[in-house]
Amino acid sequence: MGPGSLSHRELHAPLLSFANVDKRRREGERESVVLEGVSLELQAGSALGIYGQRRSGKSTLLRLAVGLELADGGSVRFEGRKLAAMSSGERARLLRGPIALLTGDGWLPSPGETVMDHVAMSAGSAGLSLREARRRALAALDRAGVAGVSAEEMTVSLAPDTRARVMLARALVREPRLLAVDEPAPLPALLERERFCALLREVARERSIALLVASEELSALQGIGSLASLSAGELCSTEDRGTVVEFPRRRAGAGESP
Amino acid sequence: MVGAAEGKAGTAKWIRGRSAHLRGALLGLVLERPSHGGELANRLAVRLGETWRIDSNDVYRLLQNLLDEGLIEVREEPRRDKRLGTRIVYHPTELTSAALTRWIETLLPRETFRLGLHAKLAVAREQDVPGLRSALAQHRRECLTLATMMCPGDGEPGSWGALFMDCTRDGIHQMLQTELDWVNRTLRRIDEYAAGHA
Repeated sequence: MGPGSLSHRELHAPLLSFANVDKRRREGERESVVLEGVSLELQAGSALGIYGQRRSGKSTLLRLAVGLELADGGSVRFEGRKLAAMSSGERARLLRGPIALLTGDGWLPSPGETVMDHVAMSAGSAGLSLREARRRALAALDRAGVAGVSAEEMTVSLAPDTRARVMLARALVREPRLLAVDEPAPLPALLERERFCALLREVARERSIALLVASEELSALQGIGSLASLSAGELCSTEDRGTVVEFPRRRAGAGESP
Repeated sequence: MVGAAEGKAGTAKWIRGRSAHLRGALLGLVLERPSHGGELANRLAVRLGETWRIDSNDVYRLLQNLLDEGLIEVREEPRRDKRLGTRIVYHPTELTSAALTRWIETLLPRETFRLGLHAKLAVAREQDVPGLRSALAQHRRECLTLATMMCPGDGEPGSWGALFMDCTRDGIHQMLQTELDWVNRTLRRIDEYAAGHA
């Protein structure tokens, strides 16, 4: 889509927005509410941290943000465009280009593959020449703090810290505008963890990448200017002004039809 | 968010200061049942728990504050054993109920930790649920805001000089995280209760 074809709405829209998003999940006979009435806006180049305990819906929120799943109610828009209105092919293209998702379980190394192959392959699938892909991969690895020597290491045998950095490089090489991170630092050493979180913030700032980070540890979100807490599917942020809540609050309970 | 918007200037004197929580809780107890001073001190200690270290001398001072504001009144009533004469019993006035509601809704600007909310929960009535919810939600926003103000340290990461700062920051993050978890769980409990009684 050329710039001339952008509608007014798309031009002035935040990079990512959730409007009253609901997500339900069927668990056998029961239907449970994962997210309820979640609204948020993320401007290009800005950052939002989401704190929530285990099973509070953080991962679901991120999967909705990157278009891996669709909302049951309300809408999720990327650059003004409704994700639900796109074809699955279009959403897949977003995830290979302007949107990147980093998760702990996204690490799928192939046997015999070097770090360089792994990262360059990611660039290559964005439609670049092999030479250009390798050049970009090197730059991304360098920025992610993976020393030149490690680029020829085998992906299957990486230390956790290096693995996290290689995953970041793999995301950076596609030059995303939105970087969603599910649990930024599942690293054993505290210092490695803090350095990795700091790296995420720095890289996002210098490249104007919008950062959406979810963690069950508040300390992993330090340095992020805007925070929200997710509990029982409900999102509350530092930006909210006092909202009046009616009582008793209407809740979609188990077993209710959507 | 009536209380929040008013801030310090518009807040009644008895709601401010270090003992505001105890004054508020005393209003709740007097509303529940008129009592003499010793009984109120006992009930307060039982209701709030050992961690509050309630001192009965303090309780008499706080009751005097509330009397001065016209939020409670005293009546002389005969003791059960008539021969022992009378004693002072604290009763609510027509201002008490509204004052309690106001206190429950009001989170003071620097009330960052949960003690005040704990006292509010201890004496809240069902009609106070909207006020409680909004005070809890405000506390949650404040914890989040405080967390955004915790900036990563300046020192060379991993240096000895940065160690102390890192530990301190860690402590504050843990504390804020515990607060957030408590608020979220409390709100869930209230909601689940409401859903069960709807």
